[in-house]
Amino acid sequence: MDGNGPAVVVLPRRLRVEDIPAVYQEIESRRGAGTVVVDFGAVEEFDSSALALLGRLRACATDTRVVKVPAAVERSFRSSLGETPPATSCEGPGLDLPTRVLHSISVRFLAQMKSVTRFFVLLGDEIYYTVSFLRKRKGVYPGEIRNQLFFMGYKSYPITCLLVFLVGVTIALTLTGQLKLYGADIYLADIIGYGMLRELVPLMVGIILAGKVGAAVTAELSTMTVLEEVDALKTMGVVPARFLMVPRLLAMTMAVPFLVVLADAVGVAGGVLVARFSLGIIPSAFIREMQTAVDLGDFFIGMGKSLVFGWAVVVASGYKGLTVGRSAGEVGRATTESVVLSISLIILADCVFALVLY
Amino acid sequence: MDIITVRDLTVGYGDVRILEDLSFAVPSARITAVVGTSGCGKSTLLKTLAGLLPPLTGDVCFRSEQVDYLSEASLAALYRGIGVLYQDGALLNNLTLFENVALPVRMRQPDMPEAILREMVHDRLSQVDLIASAAKYPSELSGGMRKRGALARALVLDPAVVFCDEPSGGLDPITSGHLDDLLLSLKETFRMTFVVVTHELRSIERIADRVLVLNEGRLRLAGGLAEVRSSTDAFVRAFFLRKVDHDDP
Repeated sequence: MDGNGPAVVVLPRRLRVEDIPAVYQEIESRRGAGTVVVDFGAVEEFDSSALALLGRLRACATDTRVVKVPAAVERSFRSSLGETPPATSCEGPGLDLPTRVLHSISVRFLAQMKSVTRFFVLLGDEIYYTVSFLRKRKGVYPGEIRNQLFFMGYKSYPITCLLVFLVGVTIALTLTGQLKLYGADIYLADIIGYGMLRELVPLMVGIILAGKVGAAVTAELSTMTVLEEVDALKTMGVVPARFLMVPRLLAMTMAVPFLVVLADAVGVAGGVLVARFSLGIIPSAFIREMQTAVDLGDFFIGMGKSLVFGWAVVVASGYKGLTVGRSAGEVGRATTESVVLSISLIILADCVFALVLY
Repeated sequence: MDIITVRDLTVGYGDVRILEDLSFAVPSARITAVVGTSGCGKSTLLKTLAGLLPPLTGDVCFRSEQVDYLSEASLAALYRGIGVLYQDGALLNNLTLFENVALPVRMRQPDMPEAILREMVHDRLSQVDLIASAAKYPSELSGGMRKRGALARALVLDPAVVFCDEPSGGLDPITSGHLDDLLLSLKETFRMTFVVVTHELRSIERIADRVLVLNEGRLRLAGGLAEVRSSTDAFVRAFFLRKVDHDDP
């Protein structure tokens, strides 16, 4: 390299994929000081990465000059990469880091706002379609509500009962020691009854439905979207948001009360069992004490909360299923996001209920 | 007479243009083939014509009425007049083949007597030779059967125009030939219009009355088979005659 002239990088005879990083680094390190001349004259053995390097250097013609390209390299370059535009600009990053970060944040924020708007549009559509179906009984496939009811109610009750029973047992066992300390054993019935009916059963039912029903609904709808079945419905004159969602919303509305009654019963049964064997409280005494703390209003509050959670699961899973992209890989992503969104909405709604009701 | 007219149509999203500045007409009771290389925008064009993808600019007129992609009434009028055969059939997996074909009738005419509906579905399934498989679910059918079943569904309400996205794709030559025969017979018997996206040159030679050649989102040629054969356009020659002009950019 001459002290005043351009920097010259002479490439080796063998220029293969493993040699490229070092060569490229050397060229890049000299680019800052002015024009770099890259001499290909010695290159005899090369592969496609050498051709990619040649393409890149030619794209950066303002500060890089390529010389003595052998005929064989030139021929290969023209036949394989010659017409391909460079994959990346050789200008380097145009924006500084804070600007890029800010740009990225604003793009994501706008995308999130768009998603939120679409979610509320779907929610509004669902309310409208459900009310219009209840009035006109049109636009839903015959028998679909029954199928969905079977899936959401009958197929969900074993896991719901098992998990709520275990939660009842766990909560009762956790409280037993503390209550014994104060000689307040009998108040276990009050806590289990009140806690189960008003808080734990709605929350558990909502979360189980999000994991079991919501994930299945999203997986089904997103697969239908990817396989163009949703497009097919549209071109048949069928509104997918009504045809696919109304049966699910109505089935959920019918399944939730059934699940809540069962879950209340088994949750309290878990408490009764622990009270009987840990504290020696007989079941009739437990129930009598529970009745002093819990009334029908608590049962209906729990039921109302569960219904809202169930609807949140259907709308969130439907939203994720119907707005999925076109690749199979997005089905899995949408399913995961649907469960996260459903549980987030349930907890958010529960918090709102707590603020309003307590 | 033209049943569909397209003027200055540009389709895309953001700054990306998939179709650019297309103008052409689809004649009634004819088969129009849309051809071009993979990724040139054929399926996008079909989706736009079928009302699924709104254009950025330009107009699509169906039966002389401009399609308003934001109006439910305008789209409903379009959907009443069209049927679509999707690339993989797009039959609903939780319904039997019979129920899939009956679905458009049940949704559009809920008060249709069951006996008449059964006759309608039976006729369409006979046309595509699938009567024996009426009770099967899509997962129990072969790819060719699913496509024929989807064609029966697209035809069940006698649409004026049927859009077919690669009807012969992935089919053996015999099944593909039968499908071509069926399209020709439906065109002759019921004066149906077909817009067919295809790569199959043999099929185009056999069934197409008119050909639209797309390349990189632009229309290279719109005309009959004779015009295609005599075209001097390098891309058209390369596509149809497999003659590559090396000096063409």
